[in-house]
Amino acid sequence: MSERARNIIAIAVSVLALAVIVFGFSSEPAAEASAEDRIASLSAAIRCPFCNGESLADSQAGVAADYRALIAEQVAAGATDEEIMDEFAANFGDSFILDTSTSAWSIALWLIPVLALVGGAGVLVFMKRSASDREVS
Amino acid sequence: MIALAGYAAIFLALGAAIVIVVLGIRHSSDGDRSALRVPVLVFLGASIASFVLLELAIVTHDFSIAYVANNTSTTTPFLFLFAAGWAALEGSIVLWGLLLAIFTYLVWRQLDRVDGLGVLALAVMGVVSIFWFGLMATAANPFALCTQSGGDFCVQSSWWPLVAGAIPIDGRGPNPLLQNHILMAVHPPMLYVGYVGFTVPFAFAIAALWRKDSGRMWLDRTHRWSLISWAFLIFGIVLGGWWSYEVLGWGGYWAWDPVENAALLPWLAATAFIHSAIVQRKRGMLQAWNFILVIVTFSLTILGTFLTRSGVIASVHAFSQSTVGPLLLGFLALIVIGSLALFAVRASDVAQAPRLDSLSSREGYILANNLILTVFAFTVLFGTLYPLIVQAMSGDEVAVGRPFFDRAAVPLGLLLLLVLGVGSISPWRVASPELLWRRLRAAIAIGLVAGAIAVGIGVDSLSVVLTIGLGVFVMSAIVIRFFEMSRSRPEGLRSGAAKVFRNDLGYWGGQVSHLGLALVAIALATTSGLAVRDTVVLAPGESVVVSGYCLEYSEAFARSEPHRETQGVHIALMDESCSSTKAELEPRINTYEGSSQPIGTPDVWTGFVDDVYVGIAGGSAERIELNVFVFPLQWLLWVGGLIVVAGGVIALGRKPARRRETSDDVTHQEPGATHV
Repeated sequence: MSERARNIIAIAVSVLALAVIVFGFSSEPAAEASAEDRIASLSAAIRCPFCNGESLADSQAGVAADYRALIAEQVAAGATDEEIMDEFAANFGDSFILDTSTSAWSIALWLIPVLALVGGAGVLVFMKRSASDREVS
Repeated sequence: MIALAGYAAIFLALGAAIVIVVLGIRHSSDGDRSALRVPVLVFLGASIASFVLLELAIVTHDFSIAYVANNTSTTTPFLFLFAAGWAALEGSIVLWGLLLAIFTYLVWRQLDRVDGLGVLALAVMGVVSIFWFGLMATAANPFALCTQSGGDFCVQSSWWPLVAGAIPIDGRGPNPLLQNHILMAVHPPMLYVGYVGFTVPFAFAIAALWRKDSGRMWLDRTHRWSLISWAFLIFGIVLGGWWSYEVLGWGGYWAWDPVENAALLPWLAATAFIHSAIVQRKRGMLQAWNFILVIVTFSLTILGTFLTRSGVIASVHAFSQSTVGPLLLGFLALIVIGSLALFAVRASDVAQAPRLDSLSSREGYILANNLILTVFAFTVLFGTLYPLIVQAMSGDEVAVGRPFFDRAAVPLGLLLLLVLGVGSISPWRVASPELLWRRLRAAIAIGLVAGAIAVGIGVDSLSVVLTIGLGVFVMSAIVIRFFEMSRSRPEGLRSGAAKVFRNDLGYWGGQVSHLGLALVAIALATTSGLAVRDTVVLAPGESVVVSGYCLEYSEAFARSEPHRETQGVHIALMDESCSSTKAELEPRINTYEGSSQPIGTPDVWTGFVDDVYVGIAGGSAERIELNVFVFPLQWLLWVGGLIVVAGGVIALGRKPARRRETSDDVTHQEPGATHV
């Protein structure tokens, strides 16, 4: 097979597959999370009181099971994720919410790793630049 | 009696370690290997003795020793009795010391007859050994005698082995979670081999810095140690995840618990180190960076130990005692400050102009992945310590958990996969866009087709589709490259393939690990993104269909063993129409002697595609409440993890670098010499 034919096949297949992916995501709306999935993600995002720092999802303790049942009740009663988390935060304090995206402290938590990545990429580019400069001189 | 002998062995080992340091420093100039023969052998013998004596005390139920009374009992099955030798704080340090002694001996055996660098490296290992055996001799003495018995366990003990003892009648037995599965006996020693193994490259790096040996000698000589430690560390992590999945009952294998993070951190740093070491060997770059990475890796192993054993961060893994915490923190500070200060003093000897021809080259992509890996490690470390930092700064209590780590890990992981796929097939120095396209076009098409197929069968999560596409892209790129190189050999495809592989075991071992990593990434995405979770309540004889699997509750059962009571249910797992049985599952709840906390033990059926995971959530024998989870491609996670380990083992077969008579002529070598 010639180089040209290989290129055409690769591009054609790629474009076709990409079209399927884009079409798939644009045509069907994402399925709504099931009650069980919501319970799972909520209990992963809430720290279990009295269980050594584990989340409700991870802990084997009896209290954790009780709180998971409580979450299940609230989900069944139609409460939103935010409402359930807010109630836990009100009862136990913010430090029991593992999902920090709502707290002011989370800005630094997210910002510093991003800055590290950007800064590191800058160093890489600088390394390349200074190497090229030396070759020129 | 055993206690006294054990105590003597620990002191003997401590003394031998001190002698190793003194003689190692004194003989670093003449490099006389034979001068260290006696102390190294004594150190090894005494460490073996301390380990054997502790096991002997456990197996003979010598409850006068507090450790034995508090961690074993007369009804503990033999395997878990033996594993109790390292299952709790003091015992784990004994195993740590034993491994350190074995490694010290092996390093000594491999030294040249005249070997200044190696002798000084042994002295550095001796310093590390002094710390661990000093800990055993004082704050964490495994042979401490019980002075006040509380019936079935020891309330108070004295580290001085000559006190009149109070002997408990029976022991408390191991932590129930630790005797619920055989993997728990295997997983910690694997991690320890990994942790302890990084002492060797660290010791050679420090010795090289001290001697101003900025060449690649220390890297060449510790290459295999780094690889072995790296492979054991990831093996231990995979086994730990597997144990968690099989035992803990919530269907998870990774919770971003501080102690899990503590094992992941040195592995991430070590992965970066292994790759940047290749760049120094092949292209003569990154000398300073390699010193920093090995110091960071070793420091992270100590930090991990500190997090596990100090109780500073609440964690299920953390041992309760906290007296060793301050000592470990002091040692960590000494290591970090000491080695970075040494590095700073020597920086001018090590520093070297970067010689990066193009960012698009093998070394360029390895550098990019080094950046991603270190940022990944930094992010995990930062998130783990963040609650402590915030509390110290403001007094506020915050918690950082799975949501943060998951959200941070997914984009970094995907970026890592992309760069890894391109970098694996790039040549050194320069990889032109035309060449990359020629080598990658088929892999790009195959990866996109895999993504399209995933969308076609109904996957509606973008991150899962992206991971599958990128994972398949990475695997295709590597396999196609291997196929093309094999085909172009004169002896034809089949024998050509064997030749290509054998000619460069270092490279192809790495690619095998990359294949495993791509499989792990795909499995991580499918098991977390496509899992089906359900909670069902069943009476005997009833059945229910969950995600295409029919489960029928037949009957409850109870079993009584000396060390535990078991209650469980028989569940028949059938196809969707509830007609043909695939398996009998027995999820149960175990209650161990000496503990009131029942431990749920799920049962798992592994099919070609799905794992069906059934655990008891509550209820009674008449109306049992079951957690039913279906995890697609769960087995791929374990298989992929083992392939990553296998790649590391294959790479060990790489032809060792040319050995020189002494390390000194390396300093005369031109530091930027290109080795291709």
